[in-house]
Amino acid sequence: MKVKRRDLSLIKRLFLVDLIRGLKLTFGYQRPSANYTEQYPKERPKIAERFRGAPRLNNDPVTGETLCIACNLCALACPEHCIEVGWERDPAGKKVLTTYIFDVSRCMFCGLCEDACPTPCLELTQEFELSLYGRRDMKLDRQSLEEGVQPVIYLK
Amino acid sequence: MDFAIDNIIIPLIKIGIVFGALSGVVALMTLAERKVAAFIQVRLGPMRVGPHGILQPIADGIKLMLKEDILPAKADPWIFTLAPIIALVPAFIVFAVIPFGPSFELWGKTIALRITDLNIGVLYVLSISSIGILGIILGGWASNSKYPLMGALRSAAQMVSYEVALGFSIMGVLMIAGSLSLVDIVNKQKEFGWWFVFMQPLGFILFFVCGIAETNRAPFDLPEAESELVAGFHTEYSGFRFSLYFLAEYANMIAVSAMAVTLFFGGWLRPFSNVAALDFLDLNFLALGPALTGLFWFCLKVIIFLYCYLWFRWTWPRYRYDQLMKIGWQWLLPLAIANLIVTAFVVLYFVKE
Amino acid sequence: MAEAETLFDASELTVSMGPQHPSTHGVLQVKLKLDGERVLDAECVIGYLHRGVEKLGEAQTYGQFVPTLDRMDYIAAVSNCLGYCETIEKLIGVTAPPRAQYIRVIMTELNRITSHLLWLGTHAIDLGAITTFLYCFREREEILKIFENYCGARLTTHMFRIGGTQYELYEGFKEQVRTFIQDFPKKVDEYETLLTENRIWLDRTKNVGIISGKDAIDLGLTGPSLRGSGVQWDLRKAKPYCVYSEFDFDIPIGEVGDTYDRYLVRMEEMRQSARIVAQAIEKIPDGPIMAKMSKIIKPPVGDIYHSIESPKGELGYYIVSDGSTMAYRARVRPPSFVNLQSLKKMVAGHMVADVVAVIGTLDIVLGEIDR
Repeated sequence: MKVKRRDLSLIKRLFLVDLIRGLKLTFGYQRPSANYTEQYPKERPKIAERFRGAPRLNNDPVTGETLCIACNLCALACPEHCIEVGWERDPAGKKVLTTYIFDVSRCMFCGLCEDACPTPCLELTQEFELSLYGRRDMKLDRQSLEEGVQPVIYLK
Repeated sequence: MDFAIDNIIIPLIKIGIVFGALSGVVALMTLAERKVAAFIQVRLGPMRVGPHGILQPIADGIKLMLKEDILPAKADPWIFTLAPIIALVPAFIVFAVIPFGPSFELWGKTIALRITDLNIGVLYVLSISSIGILGIILGGWASNSKYPLMGALRSAAQMVSYEVALGFSIMGVLMIAGSLSLVDIVNKQKEFGWWFVFMQPLGFILFFVCGIAETNRAPFDLPEAESELVAGFHTEYSGFRFSLYFLAEYANMIAVSAMAVTLFFGGWLRPFSNVAALDFLDLNFLALGPALTGLFWFCLKVIIFLYCYLWFRWTWPRYRYDQLMKIGWQWLLPLAIANLIVTAFVVLYFVKE
Repeated sequence: MAEAETLFDASELTVSMGPQHPSTHGVLQVKLKLDGERVLDAECVIGYLHRGVEKLGEAQTYGQFVPTLDRMDYIAAVSNCLGYCETIEKLIGVTAPPRAQYIRVIMTELNRITSHLLWLGTHAIDLGAITTFLYCFREREEILKIFENYCGARLTTHMFRIGGTQYELYEGFKEQVRTFIQDFPKKVDEYETLLTENRIWLDRTKNVGIISGKDAIDLGLTGPSLRGSGVQWDLRKAKPYCVYSEFDFDIPIGEVGDTYDRYLVRMEEMRQSARIVAQAIEKIPDGPIMAKMSKIIKPPVGDIYHSIESPKGELGYYIVSDGSTMAYRARVRPPSFVNLQSLKKMVAGHMVADVVAVIGTLDIVLGEIDR
């Protein structure tokens, strides 16, 4: 299929038809209803349900205990090796989670850790406002992961 | 005493008002540019400084003042400093001859809504506006850098080419009006009852195209073509010096719009000033008096022109350097000369003095 | 005296365009030798965005390498993902289930539209038409919203996995895509109103950067840049992969091989992509979205080359496996890298302003060139 090369006919050229058609289009778009802007901090954007944002470690809603079984699969799945899982054996020989470090500064939010997690524990949430003042703060520990990243409130 | 009032105090007040108003309008233009661009592009534009961003020009001004004023190590310091001033000053002093409205009486004195009425007003405007180009050329040269140099070269070539066509395009108007004074030209349009745009449609189009090119606006904004030459002649400029160029560009736009209105669109005259049926356009019900009504129409027309400037910029692509030259020399100049010859014949044989 | 004359040639000016320049599309540096405004020679300097993607492929497992590849051609992340997943599937002898294949086609074609929209917007900006850019981004945003709803990310999507896709279609997916596909041709008409017949656009693009079909093949050009020169070569038709053979679509080709032809080809490709999506959305079969395979991917010893038609051209992957969980060698054949080689030929003898037009028309992404 050959594309159709256009030429400007003499009449169109003389009466500036091509230019005026463009002007008409841009003029029409000035109506306020055509506006596409989201005034971000004022208006909250709609975040998709599946959005891969800040990580969170979920607790059992009934008992309040962590759902993590310290299987270390997330750490193995991570391409950037930004997850460190610390565990110890309890007297029954079962793995118990002690520490959990998630380095958000290196995370690329691919979701492989979430896929790998056999329990509904590790979740990438809809929180997307992750900016912080220092790199050190970006290494989230177990406590902050369980609390989840707190949404930022803008005054204006 | 009367002499001092007439020749010193009143002109000084007028100059102060025009200068102040112009600076304000230029500042508003920067906001208008961003807002119109945003609306055309289905955006909102500046919204955060003041309601709907109307204080944005002030914020921009403060930012530009506080920014570091960088003088490149290998630049020529004197010319580098002088160039933006050379660009800005002519843009403002052009307004000395622009008539904003008719005369009015105040405390027994006849005050004209213009700073002065030169009998060679058109020549004055043309000559002054070509000085402004020097600012661009010198700025590009003094930066001692490659992109500004190319911008300056483009600018020099563009100005020379379009200045010629610009001059020829208004010749028709001058012949019909028989005067070089801008006030006379407006009065002639009142006399004829027709704006000159209806007698010189081609002349007007040529004038406006050349005017856009003279002010370095899209689609002829080659000297600063940001996608090719980074920022063209003002690549090395920052802070206050940059803002002078910025102001000069907008002041030039206003000057060209005011010239177009004066020469082709009847200056302060309302549309169809001899048709009695349209007398309500005199806005008598507002009891403003002829002077303010005239000012109103003048400003309205200038605003429409300025809007067109913005509208064109945000709609069309940019010409290439050689194409620009081709248009200037192969289309505009021959058309302007043809227009001139035809007008000359018509004036010679049909218009009885 | 004679020596001084040869040392300093006043008729030539060497300008370094980039790596910081508004229209080199990233960090490309072009060393231009100019005679006034005319280009005598152009030399591309690349490597400013080198991140060692290929080397990373040797240090990450096959599954882990996928999100890294999204960062290569970040404009068309889905295509990168599709190409790599298909390559590994071929290597281990797995076929993705039909439902997954259909989802892949829909997403890849939507991604082709986003890529072409971004190309159109930036190309128009290079030539001074700024407003088109915002209109393009408006439509692109709609597609990105579909991506976000489907997989949770907008740009670097990591959409597919080896053996299928991870995500089932969400509720309301079909309606959202249908609405978009219905409106989209009208939007393309709008861009064409602004550009296709505009005299300035015609002046700026016609007979600029001409490359003949033979030269294009010799230089290894692929994708719309090759088709603009009148060569009918599209891997979707020539070597059908995925389920492309089940759809009815045309391959637009140009005549002259100038910037205008490449522009028209890409505009038509957007319409054709919309056509493919419209067909695919009605035909999605039910079934699983992931092939049955072991969690740990250990391909047999061997090597494989597989290529797909990415929005920029032929995107190929050459994988050498030593039987472990990581590739012994992962090589990418990036279309932008090869296409960029034709820049020198295209700009010779043109003006400075045409250099940005040609860079724009090649549709390069520096992330892919430098990897």
